[in-house]
Amino acid sequence: MKTKILIFLFFTVATSVFATNEFSSQEQNDPWTQQQLLAPADLAKVLNNPKSPQPIIFSIGMQAIIKGSIDIGPVMKKENLNILKQKLDKLPKNSNIVVYCGCCPFSRCPNVRPAMALLQNMQFTNYKLLNLPQNVKVDWIDKGYPMSE
Amino acid sequence: MRYLILIVVVLLSGSTISSLSAQSTGLERGNKSPEIKLPTIKGDTVALSSLKGNLVLIDFWATWCAPCVEEQHELSKLYNKYKQSAFTNGKGFEIYGVSLDAKKTNWENFITTNKINWIQVSDLKFWRSPVARTYNIQGLPFNILIDGNGIIVAKNLHGIELEKGIARFLRK
Repeated sequence: MKTKILIFLFFTVATSVFATNEFSSQEQNDPWTQQQLLAPADLAKVLNNPKSPQPIIFSIGMQAIIKGSIDIGPVMKKENLNILKQKLDKLPKNSNIVVYCGCCPFSRCPNVRPAMALLQNMQFTNYKLLNLPQNVKVDWIDKGYPMSE
Repeated sequence: MRYLILIVVVLLSGSTISSLSAQSTGLERGNKSPEIKLPTIKGDTVALSSLKGNLVLIDFWATWCAPCVEEQHELSKLYNKYKQSAFTNGKGFEIYGVSLDAKKTNWENFITTNKINWIQVSDLKFWRSPVARTYNIQGLPFNILIDGNGIIVAKNLHGIELEKGIARFLRK
């Protein structure tokens, strides 16, 4: 009996721990789904394997730190959002696209929402937001993932 | 059964530790603060160690960090209030602002517009700045208070706690 209670307790705690982490990376009204969050480890694996198809990576924040990414600049500024739109206009709707900022946690980042909303409004079908829950230092640089020169 | 209890305890404590003290590793109170030598807006290098003898707040910030920008106004008040004060562990109060900005124009405009009158340095390398690694910065804003000998006396104080943290060293 005690064992059963303990097993139940274990799963309750485990679920709540994971649930908390899930919710922290996606708020209810954000213009992305949980499935659209790309794990940094997964992107790093692709970048480290030149044989695998490479996504088009847009840095929509302060600096293009990630290897091969295109520097758009902070899209909280309208002129930068327009630059992103112009680039996207030239791409097929099913292009494999990844966007990232990495200044701050998503809850405080002024750039991820305008970029993801634009991709959604332009009806792209295969785009992801790089899941950097804390910032690009902690979740990318410190992990030793590939960086731009 | 004991193992289960242990697993539950480990899970609980693990999640608490990771959420509460993301910034606890690295430099602790009582440690000597590592040297920083970075350029100011004018391009001349100012070393943290040049402020030796003072109580110094090392403020890590950036113009792209909203809470940091808000805090600059608070820092301005504290600086003007305490810069001439005598402390038990320093002859005056100084702020050494280290910006993680990427663009010089953003950094310079903010400092000029807001008439920031304490030392401001940056290598304009955003999160790639070596100082972010040296000081094990996990997020902004982040600050460290050091005494006249460069020893860390407090970490990451904000709001009312920051003023209390400075004022408790005032010479009476």
